[in-house]
Amino acid sequence: MKLPRKVVRAEIPTAPMADIAFLLIIFFMVTAVFSATKGLEFKLPKEHQEPGSEQEEATFIRVNPDSSILVDCKPMQASDILEYLEPRLVRNPEKPVILYTDPYAPYQAMIAVYDVLASAETERGFRVKNISVPTQTEVQEYIVLFGLNPFESPCADSRQPER
Amino acid sequence: MKLTPTQRVAALIPTASMADIAFLLIIFFMVTTGYEVDRTPVDLPESSQRTEAAKDAAVVVLARDPDTGALSYKFSDGVKRTSVVGGPEDIYLEASRLIYRDSTRQFVLKADGSVHFEKVDELLDRMRRGGVQNVLLLTQQRTVSGSAP
Repeated sequence: MKLPRKVVRAEIPTAPMADIAFLLIIFFMVTAVFSATKGLEFKLPKEHQEPGSEQEEATFIRVNPDSSILVDCKPMQASDILEYLEPRLVRNPEKPVILYTDPYAPYQAMIAVYDVLASAETERGFRVKNISVPTQTEVQEYIVLFGLNPFESPCADSRQPER
Repeated sequence: MKLTPTQRVAALIPTASMADIAFLLIIFFMVTTGYEVDRTPVDLPESSQRTEAAKDAAVVVLARDPDTGALSYKFSDGVKRTSVVGGPEDIYLEASRLIYRDSTRQFVLKADGSVHFEKVDELLDRMRRGGVQNVLLLTQQRTVSGSAP
């Protein structure tokens, strides 16, 4: 007598695959942090580096505690800085730009000016190659050597209240 | 006349392609997800120019408590998660250690935009003393409504 044989078909159960996949999607969606590490490149000078330029040759930008800006002692909006710098830097691309920020000015104010200088190439087609941001330690070293703060004195007269 | 019974069509949602779509989405998330070493909420300054940080960049955080105004400092070597450090002097020691191994290592400075510049300046000065040269000042994208001072 021939017994009927039950044929078992070889199958991989794929039904729960979608469930597992969607669980994984939910996990990635919850834990995902899209990379937000972007910012402005900033080069720090080497320790004991010789100063590269005379101060009077440079364009001097001062950021005040109230976030107002003085460029070569003239009050200016951040949006007008490139217009002021363009003829000077086109004539001499190596001309240094000193960006001095008052210790009590908000960090955002310094970044706003630095951002304008960094955008010169895309906005106006010239580069501000030589940006110097003096630290307070460097300022103190100047004061010890010369007895005055070179970054305070150039604009001392322009910051006097009008009479 | 006897009509033949209408053929009944079972209502079915085709689920065969669901797994394929799900796996495509998984691959998308796996590729785009970045693992961040620091997730400290910081009110970053805004800028229009932004460049990507190096993958192994060390991270220095200067955060400000919105309620008390107290400042806190954190450091990460770019591999481990950020941990709280005492202040700029600890940053100097950590930076010196990293720069000793790799002099070109990039440092990302994640500082609150509302802090006084002297605090940022102090950090930059310590990093410079530690031999750091390549710094990325972390910013958020300036929006259309944002305006420069």
